[in-house]
Amino acid sequence: MSESRQISVSKKGVPTIAILALGVIFAAGLFVVGFDQGHIFSLVYGEQAFDDLFIHELTHDMRHAAGFPCH
Amino acid sequence: MPLGVNIMKTSLFLVIVLLSGAIAGAVHGGVNLAIVEPYLDTAIGIENQNLFASGEEEDTPEFWIEYDGYRTWQKGGQVLAGVILGISIGALFGIVFALSRQSLPGSNNVKKALILAGIMWLTIYFIPFLKYPANPPTVGDTETVVLRGILYLSFIAISGFGAMGFYKLSKKFERKAKLVSIIGYAAFITAVFLAMPENPDEISVSTNLVEGFRTASVLGVSSFWIVVAIMLGLLWDKLKPEQEITSSR
Repeated sequence: MSESRQISVSKKGVPTIAILALGVIFAAGLFVVGFDQGHIFSLVYGEQAFDDLFIHELTHDMRHAAGFPCH
Repeated sequence: MPLGVNIMKTSLFLVIVLLSGAIAGAVHGGVNLAIVEPYLDTAIGIENQNLFASGEEEDTPEFWIEYDGYRTWQKGGQVLAGVILGISIGALFGIVFALSRQSLPGSNNVKKALILAGIMWLTIYFIPFLKYPANPPTVGDTETVVLRGILYLSFIAISGFGAMGFYKLSKKFERKAKLVSIIGYAAFITAVFLAMPENPDEISVSTNLVEGFRTASVLGVSSFWIVVAIMLGLLWDKLKPEQEITSSR
């Protein structure tokens, strides 16, 4: 019976694809919580998103508490 | 002759890193709800009074219905935003931990992760916080928010890359390597601290409110770093995403 395992080897033993994936997650999450002022939803809703500030309001309290400039 | 190769299970590594970040982020959000929210409510209350005094808003039942609606949304978002931020910062922590684990001191991965978390807390959170501390609502001009964001992010990046650079540099010195890197980083970040512009906004609310808010903010963020280190270390020890395979040749 054969067994299939997902393994990947890099020079330092850390998969490059994992580092890239985590790097993208880091940047995206940081932008969402720390800096979005309607930019992400403007891709769908246009200029209205900058007035609605959906994500800004959702992350508002954490943004202040974590030390990001909010408004 | 035995040949050792480190093999990382990619999916397991990602799950461990993201799960530890998410749990720590949820804890961070919960801590904030308990100790930061009262300061936010007070600050937003002052903001509302300023709006009434300036005539921008009227103290009507309609105003308070709308206010209650978005404050519920904002408070509800505290834990969700904590999880998103936790996954984000946890991802960075996971990368650095995986790359530096073998050179970190400590007899197990919890101790190694706590040491790394302490270094990262200091270099990419607390030192930047000393220069650009957290502020409650009512502090901060909307016109300067982009500038403040750039300054804060730049300081974090300079401090983080600076610490990494001095660590790499210290490897070139066989003796007193740690001392050289610590003194070098301290001198570097002090110069950057003095050279970077100040936050341009004036603080017009009471010192007690601002200082209380900042203290609660530091406690909240610190809770994240402690939990993410413990969770990552525990999960790493338990699930072992990296295993050394030895073979004879």
